[in-house]
Amino acid sequence: MTTSFDRRTFLKGATTGVGLGVIGAMGLYSYSPLRKAHFPEVERKMTEIGTIKSLKVINISETSWFDNGILTGDIKHAGGLLVDQYLYNWPPFGNGKGLGKGSYEEGIAKIKQYLPHDLEKAWEIIEKECINVDNAGGFAALLEIEEMDGNKRKFLLDTGWSYKWMDECFKREGIDTMLRNGEIEALIISHEHFDHYWGLPVTLKYAPDIPIYIPEGFYKEGLQYIKDSGHTGQLTELKNGLNKIIPGVATYVFPVPIICRVFGEQSIYCNIKDKGLVSVTGCCHQGIIQFAETAYNELKYEKDNFYGIYGGLHISPFDDWDPKYDDLVISLANYDFDMIGCNHCTGLVCANKFIDAGYPVIQGTAQHRSKDTAYLGNGDTITFG
Amino acid sequence: MERYGAGYLEERKLIARAPGLIPGLVSLVLVLAVFYATWWIFQDPRGYFRMYTPYVGYMYCRWWLVMMIWMVYLFDLYPFKRVWLEKSHPITKGIVLTSVSVVILLILIKGFFEFLLGNFGLAYFNPAQLEKLPGITSFFAIEYACLAILMFAAISSWLSPAWVIAFEKAPWANLKQPVLGFTLLAVTFFLSTIVYFVTMHSHMGILYQPWQYFTSIAPPYWENFADTVSGNFHIAWIMCCTVVIWLVETIWQRYPFNLIKNDNLRRISLFIGIIAIALAINFFLYFAQELTWGEAIRGTRREHSPDWRWLHVGEMAIFWLVPALVLSFYFNNWPNKFSMPVNVAVRTIITLVGAVVLYIVYYKTSHLFLGTQKGFSHPQQFPMIPMIWLVNIMLVHHWFMDNWPMWKMVPKTSDEIAAEHAHEAEVLEDERPTRSYGWGIGAGVVAGVAVFFVVVAILPSMYAAIDIIS
Repeated sequence: MTTSFDRRTFLKGATTGVGLGVIGAMGLYSYSPLRKAHFPEVERKMTEIGTIKSLKVINISETSWFDNGILTGDIKHAGGLLVDQYLYNWPPFGNGKGLGKGSYEEGIAKIKQYLPHDLEKAWEIIEKECINVDNAGGFAALLEIEEMDGNKRKFLLDTGWSYKWMDECFKREGIDTMLRNGEIEALIISHEHFDHYWGLPVTLKYAPDIPIYIPEGFYKEGLQYIKDSGHTGQLTELKNGLNKIIPGVATYVFPVPIICRVFGEQSIYCNIKDKGLVSVTGCCHQGIIQFAETAYNELKYEKDNFYGIYGGLHISPFDDWDPKYDDLVISLANYDFDMIGCNHCTGLVCANKFIDAGYPVIQGTAQHRSKDTAYLGNGDTITFG
Repeated sequence: MERYGAGYLEERKLIARAPGLIPGLVSLVLVLAVFYATWWIFQDPRGYFRMYTPYVGYMYCRWWLVMMIWMVYLFDLYPFKRVWLEKSHPITKGIVLTSVSVVILLILIKGFFEFLLGNFGLAYFNPAQLEKLPGITSFFAIEYACLAILMFAAISSWLSPAWVIAFEKAPWANLKQPVLGFTLLAVTFFLSTIVYFVTMHSHMGILYQPWQYFTSIAPPYWENFADTVSGNFHIAWIMCCTVVIWLVETIWQRYPFNLIKNDNLRRISLFIGIIAIALAINFFLYFAQELTWGEAIRGTRREHSPDWRWLHVGEMAIFWLVPALVLSFYFNNWPNKFSMPVNVAVRTIITLVGAVVLYIVYYKTSHLFLGTQKGFSHPQQFPMIPMIWLVNIMLVHHWFMDNWPMWKMVPKTSDEIAAEHAHEAEVLEDERPTRSYGWGIGAGVVAGVAVFFVVVAILPSMYAAIDIIS
């Protein structure tokens, strides 16, 4: 080893040392508690959205489809969870070419002339052109909001999938009459998925001019479907983030990528006087804890309390499972919800895990083709406040 | 004595058919074209086989990589004779060797995992066994089985080359093929099995309700440290190991471990060093996500959930592997004119920039042509699949086809090989540490730590300045 100083050798060592220093710091510091000093303090925005007296949710339909095996079989044979939903040849967009070979344009061309006034005729065509027509159900819920002065206002959250099934459900719950009478102020679409959105003509059949709120992120087919379904009212595309609807009620749009080529979902916050915040979701692809965290960071709500949840929580819709869902089940305790009304894409496995964990899950009656009492089923109601 | 493919990659001389960057750029275009064509045929959700379900395509993609590593690094392309490797047309070699890799791949997955292990050992390796359980649909039975099998591949893609690159095949390097290949296979597969059981088995054990307490540790032991019960925590560092091993082999030329003269010390240092570097990258990439997206929140979904962030660590690491292989395979591992540490440093910077650009371009555009969904955190979307698929195509091109058509393969003469070894020894001798080198190391470490904190300080604003997904 030489003892004299050599600049070139020094630089070679220094170059190597930089690498060692960077890697060493990365390894020793990056996951140490010290790193937390770099995280900015998140200041709660405490945005006021007002309050309402109470919220009643009528579960019009939570059975988005009736047989998991059939639906996942379609997904399996069409190419998996990333296949574009408009390619499946699921109702109503059928072209008669079979699974995975459909298209919006070919499907809508066959039924457009009957939308929304003659859904029976449209459905006859759909039954010939589409696959597994009888497996289609849908998700829709009616929100009855009691304002602070006692005035009641109604909103429809989602409009289901199958024309035939949703029309039956609407009639069963009297939604058809409410729509016809103009009692329902607006249709709020949570996201573009088939089971929440493709039943749009059923709503428009009774109220073609109903105002519609959709979240930012719809694909061109989804936007075209609103026109092709015969909508004549106001369409509002809500931007990502918080959107106040009426005093005490707001939606929040999350720019999330979703299976079957869908992007973006909005869910609803209702601030119940003297109780706390209720989160109402269609599918909640953003995750219920993300939704709660967003509320915590963005909103001011009564008693700073998470009062309740209603809706699909998109955990195990096909009764599939993943350890990350256990993270959710474990972590939900931190949010201390007083009432949990779940169904649909929450999944039976998850609902049972919630119950086993001792969460205040409101159980249902398993009627009108809902499968289990572990969660709120078709025709069941839940009232907050 | 028949040598099969032993030393074949080092002893072949690839003569460019065009000057400058042209061969590399043309090859890159060709490789990307083949990638896209094969992606459409096999993986794309709009294509022919639609294997990107995602786990089916992911499983085959990962194991195909391992198959090629086995063939080239463990078995030295046995039973293909050296003269065949040297004389056959690259297209013939590409077709034959790729076909062999696929046959072995199918035997391994269908025969070993699904039939043998899945029927006589662990049910979750076989979809048919899982479908017997109430509530499990055929689609998810296949996805679960593929997940388990591909997790094994992730480990194997780290340990199989590790024994060759780090341990230099010791202590069996003098064995003949196929004894050497089977020995290395047995050892690395055995180690992979152990690592699988202590890292992934518990993930599979809690996939079913109730948790399988009797057969797996539930909740997994890493829960509190990783802030998740998901095995993605292990996927993260294992993927980093997979990437680091190829960085060491290509752009880093095993520097600085190759300065260690003692064989055993060098081998052990390199094996442990790869893990240490991988862990450092692993933790930093997790930290980088915290700096850009905020702290993870356990139980939530997408960008904010710890399990996805660990997965994304592995995904980000893979984005570094691609430019490193491109530089090594198609641009002669440029630069080579400086000292080894400077060459290594320049290549590291080039490939890091390449990785960042690739990451941005991928998330900005991939949904427009790969049939995937836009967004970072689609739960069924793995950029590892197209990246590894691209790596596989590059390996076929570089290992099996001698970079044809832009290069011509000519075996080096024994004089050329001897001269090359002498040159390597000379270069290493030139890099032997001196006191000045030691002072340089000391100063460099201080500067390196400073660089780390500068990066940490500017990362959030850098991320905010780039609108990756609109």
